[in-house]
Amino acid sequence: MAEKKKATTKKTESKKEDTKKVAPVKQEVKKQAAAPAAKPKAAAASAAAPAKATVGSTTKQGDARIGVFICHCGTNIAGSMDIEAVQAYAKTLPNVAYVDNYKYMCSMPGQSVINKAVKENKLTGVVVAACSPRLHEPTFRTATKESGLNPFRFEMANIREQNSWVHMHDREGSTDKAKDAVRIAVAKAALLQDLFPKSVPVEKAAMVVGAGVAGMQAALDLAAAGIKTYLIESDMSIGGRMSQLDKTFPTLDCSQCILTPKMVDVGRSDKIELMTWSEVHEVEGYIGNFDVTIRKKARGVMTPKEAEAKGIVGGGCNGCGDCEAVCPVVKPNEFEIGMKPRKAIYINHPQVVPLIYTIDFNSCVKCGLCVTACGPEKRAIDLEMKDEFVKVKVGTAILATGYDIFPIEKKEEWGYKRFENVITSLEFERLICASGPTGGHLVRPSDGQTPKRVAFVLCAGSRDNTGTGKPYCSRFCCMYSLKHAHQIIEKIPGCVPYIFYMDIRSFGKMYEEFYYRIQDEGAKFIRGRVANILEDPKTKNLHVMTDDTLLNRPVDMEVDMVVLAAAIQPKEDTNRTRKLFGVSCSMDGWLLEAHPKLNPCGTTTAGVFLAGVCQGPKDIPDTVASAEGAASAASIPIHMGEVELEPYFASCIEEKCAGCGMCVNLCPYSALSLVEKDGRTVMQVTEAKCKGCGTCGGFCPGGAIWMNHFATPQIVAQIDAFLLGGEQ
Amino acid sequence: MIIMARTKGYPEALEKKLRDQRYYREDSNPDFTKNVKAISRTIPHMCYQCGTCTGSCPSAPRSSYRIRHFMRRAVLGLENEALTDPDLWLCTTCYSCSDRCPRDIIPTDVIMAMRNLAFKRDIVPVNFLKTVQAIYSSGHGVPNNDVNRAAREKLGLTRDPPTTHMYPEYIKGIQKILDHYKLKANADRIVKEREG
Repeated sequence: MAEKKKATTKKTESKKEDTKKVAPVKQEVKKQAAAPAAKPKAAAASAAAPAKATVGSTTKQGDARIGVFICHCGTNIAGSMDIEAVQAYAKTLPNVAYVDNYKYMCSMPGQSVINKAVKENKLTGVVVAACSPRLHEPTFRTATKESGLNPFRFEMANIREQNSWVHMHDREGSTDKAKDAVRIAVAKAALLQDLFPKSVPVEKAAMVVGAGVAGMQAALDLAAAGIKTYLIESDMSIGGRMSQLDKTFPTLDCSQCILTPKMVDVGRSDKIELMTWSEVHEVEGYIGNFDVTIRKKARGVMTPKEAEAKGIVGGGCNGCGDCEAVCPVVKPNEFEIGMKPRKAIYINHPQVVPLIYTIDFNSCVKCGLCVTACGPEKRAIDLEMKDEFVKVKVGTAILATGYDIFPIEKKEEWGYKRFENVITSLEFERLICASGPTGGHLVRPSDGQTPKRVAFVLCAGSRDNTGTGKPYCSRFCCMYSLKHAHQIIEKIPGCVPYIFYMDIRSFGKMYEEFYYRIQDEGAKFIRGRVANILEDPKTKNLHVMTDDTLLNRPVDMEVDMVVLAAAIQPKEDTNRTRKLFGVSCSMDGWLLEAHPKLNPCGTTTAGVFLAGVCQGPKDIPDTVASAEGAASAASIPIHMGEVELEPYFASCIEEKCAGCGMCVNLCPYSALSLVEKDGRTVMQVTEAKCKGCGTCGGFCPGGAIWMNHFATPQIVAQIDAFLLGGEQ
Repeated sequence: MIIMARTKGYPEALEKKLRDQRYYREDSNPDFTKNVKAISRTIPHMCYQCGTCTGSCPSAPRSSYRIRHFMRRAVLGLENEALTDPDLWLCTTCYSCSDRCPRDIIPTDVIMAMRNLAFKRDIVPVNFLKTVQAIYSSGHGVPNNDVNRAAREKLGLTRDPPTTHMYPEYIKGIQKILDHYKLKANADRIVKEREG
């Protein structure tokens, strides 16, 4: 308690000092504050119609009548501060005409308190002291609008997230802080202006980046809603990770069997323009009007459509594979994780969509044998093909860029890439898959023998805080490892799977039942994280060392094969993609959603949405659900036809503008330009592009840029209110 | 005597099993967790009991030492149980567990912290104290001997290493440090108490 008192006295002391220091500044501020009153008149006089719409009437400071409404939020706020004291204090503030409090301000009765008070007291502005504006600013704006005021005559004081929740045990301190917050909000509210949001038309097309199961589902949904959709895939064929899997848990559906119909639908839909072997090169614009440049990587092979465009009627690749047969170059097939060879001209696997061959120009020797094999009728191969750039315009975009496998060799104790018989789960999928390199026979890479004892290492690189691995749970490894155990019990009589686990996370529908089933089938579960793996150099068998934590005994188990359930991580080029679209990523590298619970598909960039694993680890059902959510969200602006933009843009006070153009170069959104007006060069704002970041407004040496809703006089009034303790 | 009546003379192992081995709230000392954390400068309270430490431990397969068990006691604050367990002194401080712990804890340092706390209560095996005495008199925990000297000579090294063996005048400095912490005096006292 003594410490607290000291702190308070210090605060008052510094406040006094500040008052002295600030005093001269204050006068200047008043001069500046005169500017807004003059400005709208000038703007209105100089006639441009949009200017009228953006800047409305300003209440002179003396005439402002502010209503302050303090929310208890149950006990969230009222439990940690003295609401009555804050209310009594608010009454003493200049311009405050009405003060009230209510248990839940956001409820219908709470909102009608505002409505009634505005009408009865002829209020010109509303301040609600409650939670974060991220949560309820829209709610109270609507309430302000319904009471007859312009919705932008509302200001929020955050006394919950930034006060009562963090100062839960300091009643006195949080009450003082709430008083500060209310005083600051009132100071701004007295200077708020009427603002009118702008509407911009929305292009009736969408784009989906990545054609795995998430991207395909999103594109199919958008197409079904009648929206032209560009589906961009950087690989040569669609299907993504799911097309590499053999069976899927817990139903044991064959992955290809349930995926192929979707792939075919994507290829067939006349609303979907599928662009494989392509990448997003550049993105410009904003919600409703994204101008996207797509780089079509040189494929070396023409589709029938492309051939026809070049005048080769009946030509183009028909997927016959004659070229592949004659190609002399042999490389490891990445789709099979290097366990099968491919040629320099190749397809990933027999069921690819689209069935068009691709040349790997990094290994092609340009011998021309494929051109001859393709023949004079198809003439599909062009060894001199160059990258092409295609421009499209879309209203909204969905990112579905998926994931990579964590390079598990970094965890050296498990010996991946050192010991032949240590493989990853994705390699297991290919080995157990009938269309894989071994035709579905699980064999030891060292000698081709069928294993009889297989160890599964769960949480390999996941739930790891060392900095080498990933701190998160990869969410689907438990379940696919159970499925793997089932598959070897089913395919190899007498083979025993040993599952080394920390926790089995079988959280989904029918997942726990699946766990029961696999245990019943004979899988052995050992609760212990694998400490290290050693190889017997003669037999190439492996010794798995761990602690059976339930027996409290160390374990040294000799097995024939080890399968590491490696962690997953964001795609390598995620950073490039997210910068193109202005999307953030969270601490762990996955793309950041607008709200983890209430807006998991949205991003902080309007019109850009997330689907599937690029937002965080998901199994197939969750991925598909997230894709459908993203498609639904992305179709809303397109169906509405236009979107309302927050009127927070910058505007130019033309008589102050010297036309220096420094702001034009600073603007991160290319929203500013210089134009000739009445014989002078002045800056002009493209309001639809402006995000209201304030970079230009803060920089302008002549003070000629007016940031709507965050204008200099408004912000200076807030700072004054804080430093001067309420004196205006 | 009551126990004898209950088990009617069954072997001692069964007697041990029948003992009440639950832990109660009063067994747990939250300050123990805090002290171990402060002395070890690592995060023992973050252990999620995966077993990587015991799985890595070269001592575990050869003894009853279970480092995960000690980590659990650190989490729960089971001070008496941890400090009176003779297994506490079986760690070879190889740091394999610390290399591999996925929670980035340093279990070896947790054990060292517990040993320090145990020593404060005079709980320490005599062989550790004899090491203290050896360091005090020679500057070495394991002083040089004739077998080593012959081996060194064979390898073309000096018979004694360039330590206090070669420069015995520096032993005084080591003794000063040990005296400052009363390590030697305590060791002598406890050895005398145990061995008479």
